[in-house]
Amino acid sequence: MFSIRTEGLRKQFGAVKALDGVSFDLSAGLLHGLIGSDGAGKTTTLRLLAGLLRPSAGEVLYYRDGKDSSFAEMRPSLAYMPQQASLYPDLSVGEHLEFFRELYRLDAATFTRRSGELLEITRLDKFRERRAGKLSGGMYKKLGLMCALLQSPSVLLLDEPTNGVDPISRREFWELLYALAAKKILIIVSTAYMDEAERCSRVHLLDRGRLLSSGEPREVLKAAGAASFEEIFIKGGGR
Amino acid sequence: MNGFSLHRAWAIARKEVMHVLRDPFTLALALGLPVMLVTFFGYAIDFEVRDIKVAVADRDNGPAARRLKEIFSASGYFQVLEAADPVGMLDSRRADAALFIEPGFSRDAQGGRPARAQFVLDGSDNSKGAVMMAYLPGIQRAAAARIYGLEPAFAPLSVETRFLFNPELSSRWFMVPGLAVIIIGLLAILLTAMTVAREWENGSMELLLSTPVRPLEIIIGKLAPYGLLVLTGVFFVYLSARLVFGVPFEGSHLLFLLACLLFITAALSQGLFISVAARQQQVAMQVAIISGLLPSMLLSGFIFPVESMPAFFQYFTMILPPRWFMVAARGIFLKGSGLAELAVPLAALAALSLLLLALALKKFKTDLEP
Repeated sequence: MFSIRTEGLRKQFGAVKALDGVSFDLSAGLLHGLIGSDGAGKTTTLRLLAGLLRPSAGEVLYYRDGKDSSFAEMRPSLAYMPQQASLYPDLSVGEHLEFFRELYRLDAATFTRRSGELLEITRLDKFRERRAGKLSGGMYKKLGLMCALLQSPSVLLLDEPTNGVDPISRREFWELLYALAAKKILIIVSTAYMDEAERCSRVHLLDRGRLLSSGEPREVLKAAGAASFEEIFIKGGGR
Repeated sequence: MNGFSLHRAWAIARKEVMHVLRDPFTLALALGLPVMLVTFFGYAIDFEVRDIKVAVADRDNGPAARRLKEIFSASGYFQVLEAADPVGMLDSRRADAALFIEPGFSRDAQGGRPARAQFVLDGSDNSKGAVMMAYLPGIQRAAAARIYGLEPAFAPLSVETRFLFNPELSSRWFMVPGLAVIIIGLLAILLTAMTVAREWENGSMELLLSTPVRPLEIIIGKLAPYGLLVLTGVFFVYLSARLVFGVPFEGSHLLFLLACLLFITAALSQGLFISVAARQQQVAMQVAIISGLLPSMLLSGFIFPVESMPAFFQYFTMILPPRWFMVAARGIFLKGSGLAELAVPLAALAALSLLLLALALKKFKTDLEP
């Protein structure tokens, strides 16, 4: 099982400070939520964790079963789902799965089993032939998640997977995440929806590139003396 | 796990084929455009000049003057127009040249003395002027024979010119293989210039980079299907060159295929390099058109011979794949050149292909850093 820790993570794009010294623990087997409004630094954090960006300062530390590890060691077990549309509109659900199967070099038996399971739990099996460009917002996100999950990752990074998705699909999506979390996968999901914070086992509240607080949702609320996560952000916003 | 995998390159290639098959525009561009352009420009671009209008002021009106005019019109290149004011006709572009035959022309000719006429050219049209200059010695020789009764053999030294490979000096034979080079090169660059930039623009590159796929696998996976597509385009161009324009094909088809493959690889790699560096389809498209069209039109020897360029440009053209493929295509089509004659152009094409491929690979970003 992998866990990740960041220490004083900073990322600067020209004059813009996207992350300004963020340190938190992403302990193994839990469902972590990166909570924050637009521009808080959620996407930058996830891209840094996925090795798609290099920190301007600070570092990301990787551990495997409590021992020091590296990004290179974790990489084969890492799955990442970007926030923006990243699938091919002219390829069907089935063709996407086939494509990612070949990128991950899964054998036929594993692929049949995995894709069967995924199509069933996402209830996309009836839409195998449908092109990604013709899927609804929720189905599109589920297809993205399926492509990420095909290789049975042990670390899953999801960037605002429920953004722009209708409430019913959002609930379904979270049920999927719970099922995955039960398998002791390290899941890090970012969201701007405050109500989703309570669904996570750990939350990390980001505001304009800084970490406001980190911990179990209830403890975080208690420590801040706030009734809701919105309240913490409103207080934090006055800083 | 993370070494090069042909399997993954094949997956990228297959995905690319699906994109192409589902995008009628790309398919039509790749298969239809080359034939259309070669046929269209093959007819339009013709360096031979016929029916040059010559305004003639015949102030002699004698038999020798009449004969001289006959010689001009019988050549097939000139159309003789009697004119009182030939210069006015030149000014108003109703004539391309003027011929002045002064009184006494026939008298001098009959007396065996040199008979003089003045031929005035419109120097503002350089290319026509040069062609007329080339036709004039022939007219002069014909005049010597028909007016003075001199046989060509009379000249103490006689040079007979015969053009090898293209006996009629048909400019189409010369143009069509050259046009094919330019159009195929442009098409190959354009097609690949869009592919990587498209992945960046629609966000799929972010997802691809988080998978185990390596840049070389992406590059090979993207080169292969477009290479095949352009090669099919070449086949159609070959057919139209042979069937529509009757261009002879003297060389080896296998050698032509090899030269095509090398040139297409170089052009596709150039497109990929642009795509990798630009990361935006519109920028990539503009750079592809400029870098794909201008050097190959002006510096490849298509119109202007490389040998007559200033020394710097002669060396500069060496880094341009179309310059080498131009030599190979014309050589194989018209001269039947073999591997030995084309060793240098083919080696240069291979070297440039590798260089451009290496550049694209080096420039390929594996992260999202700006």
